[in-house]
Amino acid sequence: MDVLGTLKANRTRFITLGVLAFLFFTAVQGMPTEDWVITILRGLSVGMITFLVAAGLSLILGLMDVLNLAHGEMFMVGAYVGWTVFVRPDTFVDVLSPLLLTVVGFVLLPVWRVWIQKVPFLLKQAKFWPWLALVLGAGLLWIAYARFPLAIWNPDVYSESPITYSLALSQGNLLLATVPPSAGWPLGLLGTLLGGSLLGLAIAGFGLRQQAGTMSNHISRGTWITTAVLLVLGLVTFFINSNITDFLLGISTTARFFVAMAVATGLGFVIGGLIEVALIRPLYDRPIYQLMITLGLSFIVIEVVRAIWGRPEFTMPKAALFDGSGDGCPATSFGDLIAHQCSTILLFDGRIRTYNEVFIILVGLVVLALVWLILQRTRIGMIIRAGVQDSEMVEALGINVRQVFTFVFAMGVALATLGGVLAAPSIGLSTDMGTRLLLLALIALAIGGLTSFPGAAAGAILVGLLQQFIIKYGQIGINLPFLAEPFKPSPPLVPASTVLLMVIILLILPHGLFGRNE
Amino acid sequence: MENLLELSNIHTFIGQFHILEGVSLSVPKGSIIALLGRNGAGKTTTLKSILGLTPPRQGSVLFKGEPIQGRRSFDIAAKGIGFVPEHRAIFRDLSVLENLRIAERQKGDFERKEQFIFELFPDLKRLIKLPGTNLSGGQQQMLAVARALVPDNELLLIDEPSEGLAPVIIEQMMAAIQQLSAQSTVLLVEQNFVVASKLAQQYVIIEEGQSVKHGRMADLVQDKATIHRYLGAA
Amino acid sequence: MQSTLANRTAEKTSLADWWKANRGLLGLLILLIAFPFLLALSEGQSIGDVLANEAGNAKFMQGLLIEVFILAIYALSYDLILGVTGLLSFGHAMFFAAGAYFTGIAFKNLGWGAGQTLLGLVVVAVVQALLFGVVLPRVKGITFALVTLGLASVFHIVVQSTEMSEWTGADVGLQGVIAPEWLNTNTARFQLYLLTLLATFLVYLIYRRFVDSPTGRVCIAIRENEGRALMLGYNTFLFKLVALVVASLTAVLAGFFHTIHQPIVSPNVASLGWTVSALLIILIGGVGTLSGALVGAAVFRLLEFFLDRWFGNAANFLLGAVYVTIVLFLPYGIVGTWRLRSLDMAKGRARLMKLLGLGKKETGD
Repeated sequence: MDVLGTLKANRTRFITLGVLAFLFFTAVQGMPTEDWVITILRGLSVGMITFLVAAGLSLILGLMDVLNLAHGEMFMVGAYVGWTVFVRPDTFVDVLSPLLLTVVGFVLLPVWRVWIQKVPFLLKQAKFWPWLALVLGAGLLWIAYARFPLAIWNPDVYSESPITYSLALSQGNLLLATVPPSAGWPLGLLGTLLGGSLLGLAIAGFGLRQQAGTMSNHISRGTWITTAVLLVLGLVTFFINSNITDFLLGISTTARFFVAMAVATGLGFVIGGLIEVALIRPLYDRPIYQLMITLGLSFIVIEVVRAIWGRPEFTMPKAALFDGSGDGCPATSFGDLIAHQCSTILLFDGRIRTYNEVFIILVGLVVLALVWLILQRTRIGMIIRAGVQDSEMVEALGINVRQVFTFVFAMGVALATLGGVLAAPSIGLSTDMGTRLLLLALIALAIGGLTSFPGAAAGAILVGLLQQFIIKYGQIGINLPFLAEPFKPSPPLVPASTVLLMVIILLILPHGLFGRNE
Repeated sequence: MENLLELSNIHTFIGQFHILEGVSLSVPKGSIIALLGRNGAGKTTTLKSILGLTPPRQGSVLFKGEPIQGRRSFDIAAKGIGFVPEHRAIFRDLSVLENLRIAERQKGDFERKEQFIFELFPDLKRLIKLPGTNLSGGQQQMLAVARALVPDNELLLIDEPSEGLAPVIIEQMMAAIQQLSAQSTVLLVEQNFVVASKLAQQYVIIEEGQSVKHGRMADLVQDKATIHRYLGAA
Repeated sequence: MQSTLANRTAEKTSLADWWKANRGLLGLLILLIAFPFLLALSEGQSIGDVLANEAGNAKFMQGLLIEVFILAIYALSYDLILGVTGLLSFGHAMFFAAGAYFTGIAFKNLGWGAGQTLLGLVVVAVVQALLFGVVLPRVKGITFALVTLGLASVFHIVVQSTEMSEWTGADVGLQGVIAPEWLNTNTARFQLYLLTLLATFLVYLIYRRFVDSPTGRVCIAIRENEGRALMLGYNTFLFKLVALVVASLTAVLAGFFHTIHQPIVSPNVASLGWTVSALLIILIGGVGTLSGALVGAAVFRLLEFFLDRWFGNAANFLLGAVYVTIVLFLPYGIVGTWRLRSLDMAKGRARLMKLLGLGKKETGD
């Protein structure tokens, strides 16, 4: 197709983009230089966080037709887990062992499946025993977890609440809780393994009813290797617990922040995989119920987070790299920034925060490029792009699409949890942060084109920019003709503006800015 | 005679609708067999039922003597069945090369078949870098067939290859199918009776979800009454 | 399921048959009318106390059930557009909230009577349905859901904004609405109870009739396959618009009762959360079953109430767990699953009868 033809076919799209660009430049014109630079940077920062959530949401929606309403909650989990690793590494190390040992039972799922099929009693009574296994497993875990020595905060007591620990660390001293004496840890270890296995068995049993006959009886070597690795790790983290804690306490806050990012991302990957296998997979032929199950999941996750970390909001201190002040700060040159680890940079007489407006954008761009490379340059990326259009046809080529589904779900959730830990030092931690961001991400997706990856990025950035420009104009006011006073958009207009932009764009371009007409 | 594929009395539901109400057919090795019938008779559903895309609830599907019904689609396809769906369902966001590469079951499949594919469809070679969405209808159809040729498929299920194509392109397509049938067995769904009668040696007629008649194509061409009754004015 | 639909229309030959076919429903209606009296008697109050609006458990439970009825009417209207017509709207809360807010403003600021207000509500309902109708031809599927979400969010933001506080009470909510004497929830609880109960049953019956009507059939056809309905020559846009108008009228009615019954109309009823409640209710009850909306509303509200009473803070966690369990193990909702089961059971019973030699002629399933 020639250039002119492309232009003609996408006339509405180009005109819309032109109008948006015009509005953007008008908005920029109305501000002094330092103001618009900082507003754009803030917009990009918000946009990048939104993008991290929107990207996963879009891939999952495109490939599997699942609108994951729990995606915002995954973002929230990332933030809370990241906070724990950063502010309370001792607690993090303490829970590692029970967690890893529980997961063993789930990893062994293929083994349970084969085993069930060999025991006629289990096959016949599949309506009954999975429930029993579920209850027994949960009960056993409940008992076993209490046997582990766990130094944790207490949200109900102010002096031991997350707020206090956060505050202490931001003033430079890391508080640790006292470890209660461990009672009967061998029982704890064994009970956790057994409880996890029972839960895995229950899931295998529930699955039996839905897909009898079509189940594969294949146990891959990977299952055994993963099991062994998890087992060893679980035991090692238990027995050299204090060494790991000391190590994490010994490293700088900057290094620990990167550890927190890695942990949150990795955990997101595991959680995502588990959700897909256990909850989403049985429901592919009943789409609306997937919506409901993710909704139910989001309620549960919020309540779990409230129970563990408490209801009040709290902050997360910034790592040392982004928190320097005093001599040579705010930084005016790149050298100063590195030498003094300044928290702010002076640019066009405006102060830019290193973490919020530089680091977040950088990480966002790196992730954007990485995901783009995976999608464009690898075989799995090729399968994902093909599957977004027609996953049935991909399967008909002899490719096990379900495996790719699991991978994409895991990756999407990992991106969201990474977004959470990245956003935490900037926006703080609260139990409604997930819901708010999910709404923003949905709007971004609708604007960009629901299942288009570049669309997700563009929509997220657009939403971030619009939001920040409206906020800024709320402070300085807009000089409109025929009005004596400058018009100041009031705070409710911030969410309203993004929503309105979405409605307008969808009415002009029902498939979003970058979506394709199907 | 050895049958590569054998369907006996399969029943398939889509949602609540009973689409196939007993389809039986056998595909002998090394032939082209045409699946005929009116619009909505269940021809496409038969192909999808073989592949497990719309799994049959009853009946058996034997491929190389082995039952494959109830298995997952990718598993069935990997046993050596290629599928060319109707409406030229290529992946529009992927380039021509990627469309071919994605069909590889083992690394190097494409390199081994490259020459054969480009001999059949020389056009594709020069379009190799273009995204699928930029191809013309005929080129897309060629790509869809070529994609099924990348792995070693013993059986090809081809759905409406001539639909919506210009006569010249149809000629080309027919020649290609003729040529590739030397290597693979073909089960062909075709509305255009002229095309079907020229290509296939055998036929099966499906009417309202049931297989009602089968035999040699040469006999059917003579049998105007049957053609009129089941296929309308052909 | 199609065959049961066919049976239903065939049954409606005479009034007697109709009574017979709906005896379960009528029994439930009578039971619900008697319920406050029975509860009062078991608590040592007299029948007169209920009529005289005495405080007590009976009055309290009436209040709770009124909430269930309001939710049922609201969920029915959502089932009509999602379950029957197949339109996924995320802005349904606006239909409800517009009714609730308009009622409050009409009573409080404009001083209108009930009749006038209801007439005004009809206008409101039609206008907002038309507003959704405007975007209908442009966007489909999940995009329609998002656009409706957007429209409803704007409404939500407007009623919450401080500029509107004189009318809507901003983010505190609309309060101080005094309903007419004869349906005041404080002074005439039993009247309101009866009224909402009858309204629920009436709406349900009308909806069932609507689904069986030719218009309703086309709506179902649109849900199953819009392309095919179009090919058959139906202007699907008009049918979807009719469904939207009917749903909007119903939701507005639910909003009307809500304002009368609740001391405060919180802006939450305009939020996405309120739409999600409707979605949950019909998913619990069974999408597209209509009676599922009634069952779902009861389960939803009563579960919420009792879990909250018994477990306090942990209630939401349990609620989430219950939803997940229902989705995984009652795939078609309570009513949907029950229908499938009872079909199986009826078949099994017939087979058993045949085996025992008692079999009557099978009437087909």
